Amino acid sequence: MNPIINVKDYEPVVGKGHIEELRMLATRLSGKTVVNINSTLVGGGVAEILSRVVPLLNQLGVNVRWQIISGEARFFKVTKKLHNALHGKAESISDDDLSLFLETSERNLSQIDFSGDILFIHDPQPVALITKKSNIGRKWIWRCHIDISQPDSRVWEFLTPFITNYDAAVFSSPNFAQQLPIRQFFAPPSIDPLSDKNRELSAEAVDAVLTKYHLNQDKPIILQVSRFDRLKDPLGVIKTFELVRRNFACQLILAGGTASDDPESGEVLQEVRERAGDNSDIHILDIPPGSDVDINALQTAATIVMQKSLREGFALTIAEALWKAKPVVASAVGGIPLQVRNRLTGLLCHSIEGAAYALRQLLANPDYGHWLGRNGREHVRQHFLVTREIKDYLLTFLTLERKEDVIYL
Amino acid sequence: MAVIEWLKVNVAVPALVFLGVFFISLWLRRLIYNAFQRWLKERKTEVGKVIVAATRRAFLHWLLILGAYIAVEVSVLSPQWKSLAAKILGSIFVAYLGWILIRLSRELIGFYLNRAKTSDRAITITMSIVQVTIIVVGILILLEVWEVPLTPVFIALAAALAAAVLVFRDVFPSLFSGLQLAQQKQIKVGDSIRLESGEEGRVEEITWRNTRIKTLDGSIIIIPNTKLMQTTIVNYGRQAKAATEPFQFSTRLDLRELTGLSARNLSQLVSRLREVPDAVVYYHTHAFVEEYQFLTPQPTNDFALWVQDALGYDILAERLASIDTFEFPTIEALRQMIGGVIQDFLAQTVHEREAPFGNEFHFIKSISVILPTPYVARNLRDFIGILRKISIGSLYFHIFEAKLRLQRGTNDFSVWFEDCLGEKELAEQVTRLDPYNYTLENLREMIIELCEKKL
Repeated sequence: MNPIINVKDYEPVVGKGHIEELRMLATRLSGKTVVNINSTLVGGGVAEILSRVVPLLNQLGVNVRWQIISGEARFFKVTKKLHNALHGKAESISDDDLSLFLETSERNLSQIDFSGDILFIHDPQPVALITKKSNIGRKWIWRCHIDISQPDSRVWEFLTPFITNYDAAVFSSPNFAQQLPIRQFFAPPSIDPLSDKNRELSAEAVDAVLTKYHLNQDKPIILQVSRFDRLKDPLGVIKTFELVRRNFACQLILAGGTASDDPESGEVLQEVRERAGDNSDIHILDIPPGSDVDINALQTAATIVMQKSLREGFALTIAEALWKAKPVVASAVGGIPLQVRNRLTGLLCHSIEGAAYALRQLLANPDYGHWLGRNGREHVRQHFLVTREIKDYLLTFLTLERKEDVIYL
Repeated sequence: MAVIEWLKVNVAVPALVFLGVFFISLWLRRLIYNAFQRWLKERKTEVGKVIVAATRRAFLHWLLILGAYIAVEVSVLSPQWKSLAAKILGSIFVAYLGWILIRLSRELIGFYLNRAKTSDRAITITMSIVQVTIIVVGILILLEVWEVPLTPVFIALAAALAAAVLVFRDVFPSLFSGLQLAQQKQIKVGDSIRLESGEEGRVEEITWRNTRIKTLDGSIIIIPNTKLMQTTIVNYGRQAKAATEPFQFSTRLDLRELTGLSARNLSQLVSRLREVPDAVVYYHTHAFVEEYQFLTPQPTNDFALWVQDALGYDILAERLASIDTFEFPTIEALRQMIGGVIQDFLAQTVHEREAPFGNEFHFIKSISVILPTPYVARNLRDFIGILRKISIGSLYFHIFEAKLRLQRGTNDFSVWFEDCLGEKELAEQVTRLDPYNYTLENLREMIIELCEKKL
């Protein structure tokens, strides 16, 4: 359970000046109501970000609400397909699937309270709520957290009429920008340095978690934390590990969770377990949602953190690892290169062999890893903490109707 | 004869003793007071005059009481009458002494605390405490003189004292600290100070309990005197030379707008570069300043980075990195220079390289949102204090944006130093700093150092 955090608590982390600036911006939004709408309250990066951003914005004096859309399991299977297709993965999406998507969106239109000044819609699941814009007016912003740099053309064409009806879109990486007639802003997501997942843990607390999962630090730990999702390439991680293990004694931890809007994860977990077989140096941990301290402890105990995704929105797990000053090896996809500046804040790779090479470099040169880790922590402090994301949102809300390059508020 | 003898024994002897004691004491008083006044004259202190004025006449009366007491003691009165007389004379003396002490304490407290610019309320409270103490002690002595049992009185007094200590437990330490502050003159009203916590400001008022400080952002900090005495304070003394116009600090927050435009090779890069707004060129030549504050030396501009990382043109990357942004008065001139360098390179290139998929150059537009901060500097001391605590965004705005984006010719600080403080040399020194070669934190320290040399 995360303690109740006050905005002031962030002053020692990011500096008093930054918090003062947030207060100044929030003052200019007083009287306005912002409604966030997404598909889940728990599990996954979006819910995690909103669970922090919403209370902090309210503390700053902005009236912010958070609502979720509802749908049957079939609906979330369809949205998962849409999600994968937007990531560029080939999916078989039938007309019935699209009809179900529209019907569920229509049903949600009558269930959600839209009263507010700015409607902040997250990801594709609730994107079709915009159809009500002509009835209720107000400002609509689509916040896209996923990698749409190579979207499936059919799905993109299906979603484009909805997206272009928004007043603006916010993307996590410049790579995701599209040729759209609406304004597009760049706001990478963030982590909360004071949350259970990112606060500093004592050595005893870390040991307790390792013991709980029957782990030890006898060998260097290579860790990947991600949902059991094919786009995170867990099988590729195991293959990379097997290449490295030929020369270096080490162990691999694949720690995954599941989200209520991801029906595929159980199937992938089974595949990963089968692939790992009886290798005692590979640990597959199915960690339930909310085990934030466990994740924190694993990241703290890790020697190197990996994120070998094939497609990625942003990968908050990288920011989490960098915040703990860990050397990171990650694929150069989606928003990852924003966090891992190659050879400055971590090492980027494009293949299993490249990832194995990077791991070997770091295992053989711990000081190099420490230097990357220290840089990574500062990089996160300046760009990927929740206070920066709040600043970006406040600025987006405040400047939505202003066209100048230099705006005096 | 018997009457005369009776008068001799019962009246004349006590009267003579009374007169003798009185005149000897009068002579002694003169000696003592003359010596005391000579001593005071040498030390030129005002306090002695107060003491002399309050006690000189009373001293005479105390001598009369002393004379009367000794006269009674040598008389032939019965022991009972002598005891009664001694008690009455003792009581008169105690009451009189108490009254004089009260008068004296009032004069001395008023004299010292007024000189220390203590508030009227503090003076009144201090006087009241001292007066009550003298009265209580006087009453206890009188009760002792009249042989009244004191145990219940002491118990009642102890209870009252304990209650008073409980009620005023925070007051006394603050009061004494306040007096100590005033006495030692470590801090005075009007001084500019810096607290251990980093807060800076001007002392507005020192009361018997708290010290009020107006900080650089205009807010008020009230610190209990006890805490103030325990903390480390840097006292800069009185204000530095006032500026003709105050410096209003603003801050700049950046919002990044995606244009949807990208380039995969040099031809596309140079072509897009010609058509994008100034805000895009500004972003890609300045993003690194804010993005890599933790690295010294900082990486270069986005064009050079991309040309090297995505296309592998090391020589072109070096040429682009060596463009000195500091030299350009306008973004358009900078754009022309970058475009020209790429165009020259293209002219000598036969086969253009393509960036791998996913490594395209994405054109981003910088939107600067400017907000006034509560910080206003009225002199160089204020300026240094504020510069220590303003955000990186504020420093960035006054140094980078002011010069190139708002085309003010130089940074805002130099303009203020020269125009409003008359510090031409300082203005030139800050103007000469090339901000693109330092991290923002280094830049902050360097400007502070230059300013401090001027104080």
